[in-house]
Amino acid sequence: MPKPTLKPLPSAAFQILLSLAEEDLHGYAIMRHIAEQTGGRMRLGPGTLYSSIQTLLEHKLVEEVDLRADAKLGQERRRYYRLTASGRKVARLEAERLADLLRVARARKILRSDYV
Amino acid sequence: MSEKLYAWLLRLYPVHFRETYGEAALQLFRDRCRHERGLLPRLRLWLDLAGDLAISLPRQHRNARPAIASASVQPHSEDGPLFSLLEGEGPRPGALLLGGLLSITAVFGWVSITGLEHYRPVSVSMLVANGTTKGTGVQQGVDRDWQPVIRAAIANVKEYYVDPAVGKKMADALRIHLKNGDYDSAKGGAALAALLTQQMREVSHDTNLIVVYRESVTPARTPGATPEGVARYRKAMSQGNCTFEKVEILAHNIGYLKLNSFPDPSFCQATATAAMASLNAAAAIIFDLRDNTGGFPTMVAFIAAYLFDHPEYWYNPRENTTTESWTRSPVPGNKLADKPVYVLTSAETLSGAEQFSYDLKMLKRATIVGETTGGAAHAGVYHRIDEHFGMGIPEARAINPFSKNDWNGTGVEPDVKVKAEDALKTASKLAERSLRTR
Repeated sequence: MPKPTLKPLPSAAFQILLSLAEEDLHGYAIMRHIAEQTGGRMRLGPGTLYSSIQTLLEHKLVEEVDLRADAKLGQERRRYYRLTASGRKVARLEAERLADLLRVARARKILRSDYV
Repeated sequence: MSEKLYAWLLRLYPVHFRETYGEAALQLFRDRCRHERGLLPRLRLWLDLAGDLAISLPRQHRNARPAIASASVQPHSEDGPLFSLLEGEGPRPGALLLGGLLSITAVFGWVSITGLEHYRPVSVSMLVANGTTKGTGVQQGVDRDWQPVIRAAIANVKEYYVDPAVGKKMADALRIHLKNGDYDSAKGGAALAALLTQQMREVSHDTNLIVVYRESVTPARTPGATPEGVARYRKAMSQGNCTFEKVEILAHNIGYLKLNSFPDPSFCQATATAAMASLNAAAAIIFDLRDNTGGFPTMVAFIAAYLFDHPEYWYNPRENTTTESWTRSPVPGNKLADKPVYVLTSAETLSGAEQFSYDLKMLKRATIVGETTGGAAHAGVYHRIDEHFGMGIPEARAINPFSKNDWNGTGVEPDVKVKAEDALKTASKLAERSLRTR
């Protein structure tokens, strides 16, 4: 059975990579980060979240790190995930692709904002 | 109770997924239950879960690999193959039927409440290269009422347009169009925005007026205006040297500055000052703005100040004449005021970078080398109408001392037209030639 493809990079996978850019996180923290970075528009459910994580692990874009408790959430031990070097590269390429689209949108005056 | 229900729903996933992530999924569910209390948050949680099941269940079953049900008790040896027993049976027919029914119900419920916007790949709802849009964001004209958008556009243009008399004329014209049913045939948001823009320009002849439609949802607040946005911007600036990508002295003592935006001076002034100081002894200077999409007008004027030995009128279409409209020249200790200046442009040079090119060209202070710029004056103040519509309305009128029109919609024409990738080579040659004859 082939690995699920990441081309094009699904929105959920890209958001997960972004959420892990600065620190290792467990599943619930990833979900919270994504909700925050999308202004509440994307709340990943457990199925989508862990399916995406599974795919990202298979492609070695994220890796599992230690199992430890999150002091803010009690004693339960949680699996933490970390962005790998290739995960960071894939996220950067996707961001650059979006930036290119943005430039086209600006050039064609689809997108205008307060002069920034 | 709800945890038991969710644990039961988890059994619909393939065994491999359940064994690897079942406990983590349940833990995430418990976390959300703990933090999302009350009727509405709980309802939202279950809606999320229904959508989640509808999306991820079929995907998991499609991608399911048979799990190892039992492994050989023999240790792995080199002289023979190793066999493992794979889980032989697929999901039970009952589970498949129930899963199917649940998925269909959830998909219908989910789509009717929120649309599937959030789970589509990033590429689907984005712009494609020819400037049209794909995807299914907002309902098309036939079943969306455009009246609130049109009424908001009328109110905005009347309230904010720089010339109140013309603003009123435009509002009246739009009202008549509305009464005549001229918008009934508008197919989709982009068509409506284009029609409104055209009708307002017919009255005002002002190309800076525009109604824009974005397929993606625009949040009520501009992200850049939040403290987090500012913090993010500052971090990006400090990591990226304030977009001063290259500051170098090329052969023949030609200074070269590749600048990819005009960053916020309140944060980047020191970097700008240092960059200009390191070029101070150059015999000529090349500003590479081929990847510069604009930024802060104050930074545009700040850098331009180095190129004059007296305050020079600095045209900015976004502002009325203020103190910012004069360069703060001369800059103490600066030696660049009389040196030849070249500005490299591309079709992607936009906004503030176009202002820099346009003003220097009009003042005959620089030779522009490269391609015609993108043509974005951004002279209007952006007003959000709703999640998809907004409009740019000029609220101030700066006096353009150079010509009737600025670069809006047309771009800045280079003095020496070459392909963007050849611009640096051409400008270097021109600079060398000019230095030889000086």
